[in-house]
Amino acid sequence: MRRLVSLVLSAVAAAVLSSAAALSAEAVKIGVVLSLSGPAAVFGIPERDAIQVAMDKLKADGKLKQPIELVIYDDKTNPTEAARMVTQAINNDKVVAIIGPGTGGNILAAGPLALRMQVPLLGPAGTMAITDRKNEFYPWVFRVAPSDRVDVKVILEDMAKSKAKKIGVFFQEDAYGKTGVDFAKEIGPTLGMEVVETVSAPYTATDLTAQATRLRNAGVEAVFLQVSISSLGASFVKAANQVGLSAAAYANAGLAQRSFAESVGGDVDGLRVLSIGNLPYDPSDGEAELAKLLKQAGKVPQGWGELVGTNGLMTVVAAVNAQGDKEITGVSMRDTIEGLCGYPAFARGKPCFSKDSHDGWAEDSLVITELRNKELRTRR
Amino acid sequence: MRGLTSRPNTMIVLGLAIASVALAARDPVWTDTWVIVGVYVLIALSTGISYGQAGILSMSQGAFAAVGGYTAAVSTLRFKLPPGVDLLIAAALPALLAYGLARVVTRLTALATALATLALGSVIEIGLRNMDNITGGYIGLAGIPGIGMIDTPLKYCALVWAMICVCVLMYENLVNSPFGRALNVIRHDRVRAQADGVNVPQLLSAAFAFSAAMAGSAGWLYAHYISYISPNSLDTQTSISALLMSVIGGSGIILGPLAGTVFLDVLVRHLPAQELQGMFYGGALILILILAPTGLLGLVPPLLAKFRANRGSRRTTKAARVKPEAAQ
Amino acid sequence: MYVLTEYIVRGIQAGSIYGLLALPMSLLFATAGTIDFAVGAYALLAAAVATIVAGPLGIAIAIVAAISAAAAMGVIFLVLTRTGTRDHIVFALASFGLAVAIASFILWQFGTQAFVRASFSQFWSLGGIRISPQGVINLGLGALVTLLLYLLLYWSDLGRMMRAAAANPTGAELAGIPVARIQFGTYLAGGLLGGLAGIMILYSAGLDFTASLSLTLGGFGAAIIFGITSPLRCLLGGVAMGVAEALAAGYTSGMVTAMVPFLFVLIVLSVSNIGGGAMAGDRP
Repeated sequence: MRRLVSLVLSAVAAAVLSSAAALSAEAVKIGVVLSLSGPAAVFGIPERDAIQVAMDKLKADGKLKQPIELVIYDDKTNPTEAARMVTQAINNDKVVAIIGPGTGGNILAAGPLALRMQVPLLGPAGTMAITDRKNEFYPWVFRVAPSDRVDVKVILEDMAKSKAKKIGVFFQEDAYGKTGVDFAKEIGPTLGMEVVETVSAPYTATDLTAQATRLRNAGVEAVFLQVSISSLGASFVKAANQVGLSAAAYANAGLAQRSFAESVGGDVDGLRVLSIGNLPYDPSDGEAELAKLLKQAGKVPQGWGELVGTNGLMTVVAAVNAQGDKEITGVSMRDTIEGLCGYPAFARGKPCFSKDSHDGWAEDSLVITELRNKELRTRR
Repeated sequence: MRGLTSRPNTMIVLGLAIASVALAARDPVWTDTWVIVGVYVLIALSTGISYGQAGILSMSQGAFAAVGGYTAAVSTLRFKLPPGVDLLIAAALPALLAYGLARVVTRLTALATALATLALGSVIEIGLRNMDNITGGYIGLAGIPGIGMIDTPLKYCALVWAMICVCVLMYENLVNSPFGRALNVIRHDRVRAQADGVNVPQLLSAAFAFSAAMAGSAGWLYAHYISYISPNSLDTQTSISALLMSVIGGSGIILGPLAGTVFLDVLVRHLPAQELQGMFYGGALILILILAPTGLLGLVPPLLAKFRANRGSRRTTKAARVKPEAAQ
Repeated sequence: MYVLTEYIVRGIQAGSIYGLLALPMSLLFATAGTIDFAVGAYALLAAAVATIVAGPLGIAIAIVAAISAAAAMGVIFLVLTRTGTRDHIVFALASFGLAVAIASFILWQFGTQAFVRASFSQFWSLGGIRISPQGVINLGLGALVTLLLYLLLYWSDLGRMMRAAAANPTGAELAGIPVARIQFGTYLAGGLLGGLAGIMILYSAGLDFTASLSLTLGGFGAAIIFGITSPLRCLLGGVAMGVAEALAAGYTSGMVTAMVPFLFVLIVLSVSNIGGGAMAGDRP
């Protein structure tokens, strides 16, 4: 009888202990909602690839205090889909944080969901509106890349060094292009430059010689390109060459992509492109490490998509590690992220968040590169 | 209830709506999905009305829905109109645009009219994208308030499916009314209709305007539900999807678009995601167009007829066997 | 005045591409009463293939690829006619499905890269206006193809059969003309011309995987401006659209420039009478 009781007791004890062990070994789920198809896939796919290789490396090196599991969704560059995927990630997979969505509009669509279900979004997008304090969902959205305003300011400052007074802007007809040109008009005068002419084109325009002609006729001394589609950028550069628009060109980070550098002909050396770090061509130590991981996985580094994607991942990892063994919820993630300042990441610069500032990255992660021989070389 | 039994489609959709909303209520993801499916069903239904009744293959229903959505956003955000009032404007504005276009193009072939609607839809889209001060330009408008008491996804789900039932009821009434019969005559013989005294351009335009109002109301609900609207939310892609759903389900049949929408949505969900999606989408469309040209629901009447014919032949055989015995 | 001329010259150069895309539109509309939404996709496919395989061999393979894709559409068309479809819209929708499938295939195989190749770095000067030799080639090719098509349609037996099939399909069938085969051939021609246009764009402005539908619409707009029935009108329509876009880009805002192809379609359709007696909502 006594032996039976002790047997039963030990069995119960074993069951309780093993389930406790199972609970603490249960992974923290993190959602990844990025644009893996549609126009923004050109950034979304590198973002996802880099997140995956970095995650594998962190797991292999045992750098995680609690196991993390990634759940990946495609928002198809569509706001309705983004809202749907975020709902799915939070309800079905019970994620405690989401890296993404990939574009400003998609983040605005998902914001109310983040607020209602109390799960923070870490958006790798430059669109100003996502961290606007007037948003009801402001406490739940964090930006893991430099904002558009910072980007435009840095590249225009470089442009101002060339003593150009009259500048022209070529922008693509979407949110990115439009915000950029508005900022250029606002920031330019503070640097002594006036935007005398602006021209635009939709993504699929096949001939840009008319736009280039218009800028040339306005007598601009420098041209600012606010474009993120490399074929559009390449078409404009060709058109500018053709019509004799010889003003120096400066491009915003949207064109800091391998596909742009490789498709533009040799006769535009000297074009300056702002970039978030320089992963493919002149990497810093952290960036070089990421590049190595990517190459080992058979991926070719494209630009800065990989860096902002891993920014999101490293923020999540830092927040999870900062909480040690405690139970992790969406609220605890948000509160922890707001307290993070200076933690390891592959990108340059020191990331820092606070309750009042949900923009984690600033000028120190940006570099000015110059196109030479189909490569973007960092300027010293 | 003679009123309801003479409207079989409404009865079917009412039953379907109640059952599906009850089912969707059990899981938040299903509820969310079912609201969005409901919005698409409304838009596809409007395409079905436009094509099935007026013979105007509309590729602009997405644009009309976008106009409805932006109207809802602007009315509640900027003019602080009470919820529900903006529904009237959200339905009226697209109807006006549709009426205007239709008066001009109804005398062309179906394909030319379709492309005219595509052009109009694109022009509307470009206009919405560029009116920065009103529509928020490329970024769109965020923070759209809810519709008064409707504040949970389940309530939105119930609302949108109630709207669908109302629309199907109106559609059925239209088909059985003098207007519906006039549209029927126009579809078969326009000259005969004119001889009967029907004002053809006006009637066709009115039908098209009605479909646009339906799409506008779908956009109104979408804007309030997602609380954000942008040029990418309801665009040419949406119009084309609605068209596909309507054709695949059966555009001549009232419930066809509904079947098509649900079918396509289920299909899209189970595909391997990302880059291959378009290939399967396009391939599936082609397959369905080849195998079921009158749409999925168009397969039902022949099947039903076959079924009835079998039952009928069995009955006559029975009677033939019984009669000789009775005669004895 | 000089500025205006320059814009017009640029527009003419660019418009030849629209003209080339418009030709298959009008041919198919005439012989089968439908449009092929996949013409832009054929152009995209050709551009993608020619980017991967360099030189004249690449161009040849690219054209073959485009024609193969069009052949697939032709087969789908034939199958659809066999199953008794009368509705022209169905053919158009099927071609739309194919267009979506091709664009997705290209995204899958070639990724999101831009398809653009450098052509000439020297420029000619025409009265002070710099013209790229590629633009002249485009225009020349467009004119040549138009001429060939014109000769085919009005001076050859095949052309006569095509026109007969367009004017009265039933009558043509009764007269022993293989209408279905002619319609299939028209789809193939669409592949050839679309592929050619794709190569031309590759060497001019370039394009990426999102371009197919807008190319198709541009082609259709160009086709209907002066009347969808004749090849010469298609080329002129393309040139007109190119010039209108150039002038809009030069003098007005981005919004108006983007609307140009669509406004063309709307305005032309409002004042024209495409299809004659048969009207929307009528029996076929």
